[in-house]
Amino acid sequence: MLAAVLSRRRSLSEHISMLYLQVLLNGLVLGGLYACIAAGFSLVWGVLNVINILHGTFIVIGSYAAYFAYVYFDIHPLVSIPIAAVILFFIGYALQSGVINKVVAAPVLTTLTLTFGLDLFLNNLLIVAFKADYRKVTLENPLGVLSLSGITVPIDRLAAMALALLLTGLLFWVLDASRVGRAIVAVRMDREAAALMGVKVKKIYALTFAIGAVMAGAAGSLMSLIYPISPLNSGIFLGKAFIICVLGGLGSVPGVMVGGLALGVVESFGALAFGPEHAVTLSFIILILFLLFRPTGIMGKRGFQ
Amino acid sequence: MNDWIRKDFFRFASFVFILAGILAFSGPVQGAEKVLKIGAPLPLTGPLSPEGQKQVQGYDLWAETANKAGGVKVGSERYKVEIVYNDYQSNTPRAVQLAEKLITEDKVNFLFSPFGSGATKAASGVSEKYGMPTIAATASSEEVYNQGYKFLFGTFTPNPTLTEPLSDIVKAKVPQVKKVAILARNDLFPLAIAQCADVSAKKRGFNVVFFEKYAIGTMDHASALTQIRAAQPEWIFATGYINDLILIRKQMGDLKITAPVVTMIAGPAYKEFTDAAGPLAENVSSASWWHPAVRYKGIDVFGSTENYNKIFQEKYKFIPDYAQASASSVGAIFQIAIEKAGSLDRKKVRDTLAELNVTTFWGDVKFGPTGQIISLKPPVFQIQKGTQVVIYPTEIAQAQFQIGVK
Repeated sequence: MLAAVLSRRRSLSEHISMLYLQVLLNGLVLGGLYACIAAGFSLVWGVLNVINILHGTFIVIGSYAAYFAYVYFDIHPLVSIPIAAVILFFIGYALQSGVINKVVAAPVLTTLTLTFGLDLFLNNLLIVAFKADYRKVTLENPLGVLSLSGITVPIDRLAAMALALLLTGLLFWVLDASRVGRAIVAVRMDREAAALMGVKVKKIYALTFAIGAVMAGAAGSLMSLIYPISPLNSGIFLGKAFIICVLGGLGSVPGVMVGGLALGVVESFGALAFGPEHAVTLSFIILILFLLFRPTGIMGKRGFQ
Repeated sequence: MNDWIRKDFFRFASFVFILAGILAFSGPVQGAEKVLKIGAPLPLTGPLSPEGQKQVQGYDLWAETANKAGGVKVGSERYKVEIVYNDYQSNTPRAVQLAEKLITEDKVNFLFSPFGSGATKAASGVSEKYGMPTIAATASSEEVYNQGYKFLFGTFTPNPTLTEPLSDIVKAKVPQVKKVAILARNDLFPLAIAQCADVSAKKRGFNVVFFEKYAIGTMDHASALTQIRAAQPEWIFATGYINDLILIRKQMGDLKITAPVVTMIAGPAYKEFTDAAGPLAENVSSASWWHPAVRYKGIDVFGSTENYNKIFQEKYKFIPDYAQASASSVGAIFQIAIEKAGSLDRKKVRDTLAELNVTTFWGDVKFGPTGQIISLKPPVFQIQKGTQVVIYPTEIAQAQFQIGVK
């Protein structure tokens, strides 16, 4: 009798710890996805001091590139990441050098309004071109899930986490080790001094913005495996990117990763504790708390170094 | 001086002559082109724009078909149909303003409601204030109709007419179902339908072990689904719009959640759901107010469901779903009421609508005392081998209900 009760208790506690472990893993892989979404946004905000409202739409364009590459040319979204990245590089470079550079020295509100306007234009252009219908890349051979004694982790989300790590790592290396990267950091630290040292500031701005767009495109390509694709998703991506940057700290490469993971885990456990309807509310409450008490975020510092 | 006066007079006379000429030529054309204007406030941009576009497709098809058939007959005259679209940008307060603008500034003869129960309810006060007969193509919640208004009509039956037959089928055909989990989008229609599912399930002795809402714009359902997996329900009932349900179905696959019955409302009614969910859509059941497989012969301009499907596919190259069909039906119903009333008088058309008892391609049309349709039998369907097949009503069933969603 006692043995039966004990064994039932043990199985119940195992059951509960499995639940928590699964929720933790859900949160971590969601966090990887979030980091992926926010990486380019953080770079542009940290270096150019431009809050790029276009970022969500860039991700959506990346998703469309992957979708059409898959549907028409049978190219796997993981393979089409560079294609999406190249397309976004040109879009980003053209927008920054042709439009945003004209007002880049103006207060942050001016560039914010400009990118907001550009986003309205570009997003509606996408609706006209592709309609607002939801599409999705449905692989003939899905990537599947890793499963170990009842705990499952979807491989596409693991890939997103790996991509986020790769992108942030690559960015860290570019900024740290390459001439262009040092020029980007120099411009961020002191624009006038960098110009006096012979750095072509406007070109560096355009390049930075384009790198941000590349990261959005790469993320978008991967998102096409996970989320339904529609221009209407851009606002949701942007909202998450915003929270992650504040949480992780602007101008910090690892901050994006930390912010993304923190948000993923908090939302995941938040949904378990307070119900899924409050998960989104919770992330915005955290945003407000951070803005009030720790505006630099978990790992924030000025400048992208 | 005289010369100048003569010149001016000559110019003036030429102007009058030319103007008279233009009027003479345009006169008879204008006479033949009497126009019946119907206002359509719709969410053409913003998050609800996919739904708004479906409404446009349905309305346009009706207007085009009616005009091809010579227009709407009012007494001895024929009126060309013109739909005046106004975009309320998925913003309900703006829908209310635009409904009023359509009535007072654009001087429309009649009005179609904005999209969904929420916006329809909000704008219905305006219709009532101006005594404007209005038909809603996409409002099912009873709260919309029980406000005591006289000028609002709707082509969707109350929500329980979807969940009751579904629960009956599950009770009869899937004896292993004991526990039910319900996950609902926290939004007027999806939540209302989830609450109805809760009531219908409990009424039949099922144990509802999980009932949670998720916020609009939720990007991840893993936590909720992990809890559902732990509760081991035999019937999972998820509500939301296409994007939510595609994601929920995908994440169910990620977490390896299976169940004898998975029901989703309202995504699977749309072809986009089946396309996007791929093999995961298999055996997902759903219900909607109409399905292209229903077969009705009507007195409306489309004549029959088969003919409606045919001309819809000719124009748009895909199969209509209930949203487009409902939009076309409200136009066709207005046409029947106007032609029966023989007048564009708002009060007369309203009274004709209230007494209407006819069959259309959409189904039988009879409005109850609140204005909501009471004659329709919404079909239950399931996705089998990548296509939607009707399970109920039995007289139009195309297949047997299949158990097991993997």
